[in-house]
Amino acid sequence: MNPNASSTRIERDAGGKRASFDDIVVGAVLGEMEWVVTEDMVDKQSRMDHDYDEFYSLDSPWGGRVAPPQIQYRPPRWLLSRSYNIRGLFYRWKMENLRPIRLNETLRVKAWVTKKYVKTEREFVVFAAEATDSAGNVVFRTERTHLLDVIERSAPRAGEGIDSGIKAERI
Amino acid sequence: MAIAVLKASVEVGDDLPSIARQFSLDDFKRADEQTIHTDLAAARREGLEAPVAIGPQVASLIFRQLREAFGRGWVEGGACTLTFRRPVLVTDFCVARGKVVGTSTDAAGATRVDCDVWIENQRGEKVIVGSASGSIPRP
Repeated sequence: MNPNASSTRIERDAGGKRASFDDIVVGAVLGEMEWVVTEDMVDKQSRMDHDYDEFYSLDSPWGGRVAPPQIQYRPPRWLLSRSYNIRGLFYRWKMENLRPIRLNETLRVKAWVTKKYVKTEREFVVFAAEATDSAGNVVFRTERTHLLDVIERSAPRAGEGIDSGIKAERI
Repeated sequence: MAIAVLKASVEVGDDLPSIARQFSLDDFKRADEQTIHTDLAAARREGLEAPVAIGPQVASLIFRQLREAFGRGWVEGGACTLTFRRPVLVTDFCVARGKVVGTSTDAAGATRVDCDVWIENQRGEKVIVGSASGSIPRP
């Protein structure tokens, strides 16, 4: 533990009360959302990641531009945030790119909680998501593990956090 | 057309392309938000030593590596599992490395390539570790 860092876990932030380990329901559906990836979103993702390729910027073998696969990070995280107010840290990312993410195609993303566990006195939530296109084809699958708090679970909750995690649902 | 670095003649032990990046605080700023990625007080309140890099942005070094290695075989049919072992500070230098650990031929005759992938910081610490796979179409 850094001597300058807090010794308590955050109790609340601008998003309300922080979700506790007990609040998390394994098997709970986090929700569904429609998601359309636009040219602007792909351009921004490429800029953020310095990930430029003809497939993403010009044309691809699938006909037209496609998105960098990592653009799939956000919708499942947004769905987690809609159900649980969690800041924490990202711990594990499993991803399968079954089909390219085409621009201006409407995807349906569904996410659900698969597991929660305690390791090294810290609390983790595991959630999965799947995106399908309008024909019902699976475009990507992912499973995420998120650490609820950096500080050990024995620390009391108190005070207000400055950062409430992902806020705006945008790239 | 993007060209994949790996060919069907790929062998176990071959290296993937290395991708490096020097991060800076500006890489993680979003409007005027005070986050654990941009603000010292916000980070310390969460138990962190200092602002930390956004995990997916660091992991993108591996995604660039896999895109260069496999080309379309990453975008369609690629897979990976990454573990974020320790926080990356917003001013860290990071490099993605990888090595081929297995190959096989799928039903369509494409070569499936399994790799170990990881990201090291400037101190040589592995901050992200994992496995990845992609396919190389039959020549």
